[in-house]
Amino acid sequence: MRRIFLFCASAVFLIYVLAPVAWLLSSSFQGEAEITSRPPHWIPQQPTLENFEAIFQAREKKVTYETRRAGDPATGGYIPSTARDLLPSMWNSLVVAVAVVILNLVVGVPAAYAMAKIRFIGRSTSIYFMLTTRVIPDIALVVPFFLFIRTFGLLDHLGSLIITYLAITVPFSIFILVSYFESLPDELDKAARVDGCSRLQTLTRVYVPLAMPALVAVVLFTFLSSWNEFLLALMFTQTPASQTMPIVVASFASDFTISFAFINAAGVLAVIPPVLMAVIFERYIVSGLTAGAVKG
Amino acid sequence: MSIRAGALRGMFGPPVSRYDQASAMWLLAPMLGVLLVVAVFPVLYSFWISLFDLRLTRPHRVPFVWFENYQEIFQDELFWQSVWRTTSFTLICVAAIMVIALAMALLLNEEFRGRRFLSAMLLVPWAIPYVANGLMWKWIYDSGYGALNGLLFQLDFIDKYMVWLGDQHKTLWLIANAFIWKEVPLATILVLVGLKSIPADLYSAARVDGANTWRRFVHITLPALRPSFMLVVIYETMMAIRHFDLFFILTEGGPAEASHVLAWHVYVETFRKLSFGTGSALAYIMALVTFFLAFWLIRTLGKKL
Amino acid sequence: MATIRFESVGKTYPNGFAALENLSLEIADREFVVLLGPSGCGKSTTLNLIAGLEDVTAGSLYFDATLMNVVPAHKRDVAMVFQSYALYPHKSVYENIAFGLRMRGFAGEEIERRVRDAARSLEIEPLLERRPHQLSGGQRQRVALGRALVRQPQAFLMDEPLSNLDAALRIAMRAEIKKLHQTMRTTFVYVTHDQAEALTLADRIVVMKEGVIQQIGTPEEIYDRPKNTFVASFLGNPPINYLEGSLSQDGRRFVRGAVSLPLPIPLPVQAGRPVRLGIRAEDVDPKGTGEQLGGRITSVLPVGSDQFLGVEVEGAALFFRVGREVRVHEGENISLPVNANRLQVFDAASGASLLWQ
Repeated sequence: MRRIFLFCASAVFLIYVLAPVAWLLSSSFQGEAEITSRPPHWIPQQPTLENFEAIFQAREKKVTYETRRAGDPATGGYIPSTARDLLPSMWNSLVVAVAVVILNLVVGVPAAYAMAKIRFIGRSTSIYFMLTTRVIPDIALVVPFFLFIRTFGLLDHLGSLIITYLAITVPFSIFILVSYFESLPDELDKAARVDGCSRLQTLTRVYVPLAMPALVAVVLFTFLSSWNEFLLALMFTQTPASQTMPIVVASFASDFTISFAFINAAGVLAVIPPVLMAVIFERYIVSGLTAGAVKG
Repeated sequence: MSIRAGALRGMFGPPVSRYDQASAMWLLAPMLGVLLVVAVFPVLYSFWISLFDLRLTRPHRVPFVWFENYQEIFQDELFWQSVWRTTSFTLICVAAIMVIALAMALLLNEEFRGRRFLSAMLLVPWAIPYVANGLMWKWIYDSGYGALNGLLFQLDFIDKYMVWLGDQHKTLWLIANAFIWKEVPLATILVLVGLKSIPADLYSAARVDGANTWRRFVHITLPALRPSFMLVVIYETMMAIRHFDLFFILTEGGPAEASHVLAWHVYVETFRKLSFGTGSALAYIMALVTFFLAFWLIRTLGKKL
Repeated sequence: MATIRFESVGKTYPNGFAALENLSLEIADREFVVLLGPSGCGKSTTLNLIAGLEDVTAGSLYFDATLMNVVPAHKRDVAMVFQSYALYPHKSVYENIAFGLRMRGFAGEEIERRVRDAARSLEIEPLLERRPHQLSGGQRQRVALGRALVRQPQAFLMDEPLSNLDAALRIAMRAEIKKLHQTMRTTFVYVTHDQAEALTLADRIVVMKEGVIQQIGTPEEIYDRPKNTFVASFLGNPPINYLEGSLSQDGRRFVRGAVSLPLPIPLPVQAGRPVRLGIRAEDVDPKGTGEQLGGRITSVLPVGSDQFLGVEVEGAALFFRVGREVRVHEGENISLPVNANRLQVFDAASGASLLWQ
């Protein structure tokens, strides 16, 4: 009885979670003709790789398309871009994501250790400060940042993206790390200090090796947040040379003359790296969140 | 108090070790620096800008207008509508996410073969970029060839293909559905963590006391999940209020302002109308509102802990 | 070498809790000092202050002539063994022991030599490549000792290191620690709430209660000449018996109802004062010739080589230990000769001893 119930529930679960993605995958393997059938072919009857080929071989596909209709007047209105930009934009996304991850670790790990293990004046203040900065909506950051960056001519610079992404990633990273550090025994800290470690050495030689699950979780979260981020990238990048993947993919959507098959293929490509990472490291995500997540 | 004592007495009282204070400050410095630059500075700067009438269409004439921008905003009917839309969007999303996440977490909490597989698959919606999510649903909702139409047609629920995203009565809920679909995994994990921390003994004791499954659920599970629920509510509320990506990809605020939410309003004002003064004012208002909302939520929900 | 001196040291926590108040104590070089007391008495805090893990909030702490108040823990030359051992889970036993030496920049060969010597003397050589989670409690404890040993520090600090071990192991380890002290010839500061441990190990015992030192002395002094009821009660198993009563008019005897016993030292000045008499369970000798204490037996509990007799005397419930040869039964009356030289007399109100101060 129970097994039947579990089976049905699991089926519903899987359908809810995977069906849209499965459809995306299926569509991406269908050619232009097939994809416009009514009702749709759930499983491609004439599967084809032509959509993916178009992306990888960077053939000019039909028409050029706009990215933003009311673009920044400083650059003159609209920016054409082609399929060719998808792969380079993925590279940009990768560079930005890796930089953001590294910076998060460098900034976050020491701060989290201090807040978790050291009693100092201003400890609770720093914790509240850090939490409240995450509350600020991205759009509220965009406006002032845009003006600032524009004034200094840093508009297309990946560096400006990296710095601003820190705003949305650092608080959560520190949150995860603080929770995890707090769950590690205090006595190790004492033993290390009596053994001759300064605070920094205690952190690097004792606590960091022990906090691996949390560190992995932080790397994952940060990487994914950075990879998937859209709004800030939209604002701060004008040229294909510096655009990140979500922007290029989004640009496909606003052009009505483009085949959905093509868009779906691009979507699939955009989806693969993060999904792969998430599935491989699934265990760490849960354990990284576990220590202290419920304590809030 | 002896000067030779090793402990400092801080401005607000508690004596701490001098060495600890110094090392803590050093360890914290990078974070403080970063957050000051990327979080504090923008908010202050946007407040400053909001006091001017800055339009990028005429960037050289920037009059100082005190709070006129704010007046303009509050008198704008569209602003209040977007507030209303944002509120209903948020409420629906948070409620739906809680329910679905609870159901999924209950399932994942059971021991059965294939559970690991399920929980790995759970992460797929979470990992997908918002952009891809938007495109995917846009394709599903497509009025010409979309899967939603196709499915309903095949099941005989409708007799011809309908317009979905273009229908202003349905738009907001369709977008909500896409948002919920993507947010459920994280909420599920948070609830699952809470479920796992309930000691099994409680259930055993309840069974001995004669409680059936439903009562055990209501009297043990739900109360024990309060902290998790609180976390989910606060986090998802914040995410829903600020959400922008789906609105950009799916509907661009339309049709006929049906999905014109607050975040979109700020975008339009700033980057389409190019009025940075009012845009900054809106951004600042949004920052303040979310800040106080978070504060209030933590206070009221936190007390129930 | 290291004398450790506390001068009017106080430790108050941010929430206002005063763990230590006006503590003055001098620990001589090479001494084995035990800080003894119940939970919350401040003994662990004192140890942490010596280690530098916490800082004094009032007064001064000296190592020899150096003021240590502002010196952080990693710059002090002490080693510590923790109640939970605090071994680094991700390091091997070898690395755990070697860690302190590495942090202080010792050469590889020197580290190797010291670690192996320590491992050999603690009989954990075969365990060097294992991880802490693969060891038993007793083995982990030895590793923790090893980690402290190799440092050859100026002072060994131990925070209830034996509490997590089972009884038999605890007794064996006590002997080992004692031997260690004799070999190392270094200052040992040991914290415990177990009075038997304190009596076995210490050169001097510091009895603490609620942040205040009650008495400092050798085990014999503390046991035979306690300065207040707290100290008298804390040491001795079973705890000392008390009889409320008063001194006779000439101050030479204790009286309570029909009970009358001579004091070890006459106190003519305190004539008639209400006092509390202390009699230890072993201070009665059925074969002895002292004056007798009479009462009714309420229970007889054989414990191996001895028996515990519960005796009701003038309405008070007392416990005495006698040999197995005494054949008595519940309900019988008994008269036990008391060793009057070992009686303790305390002020009834304050608990302070009237014999020793």
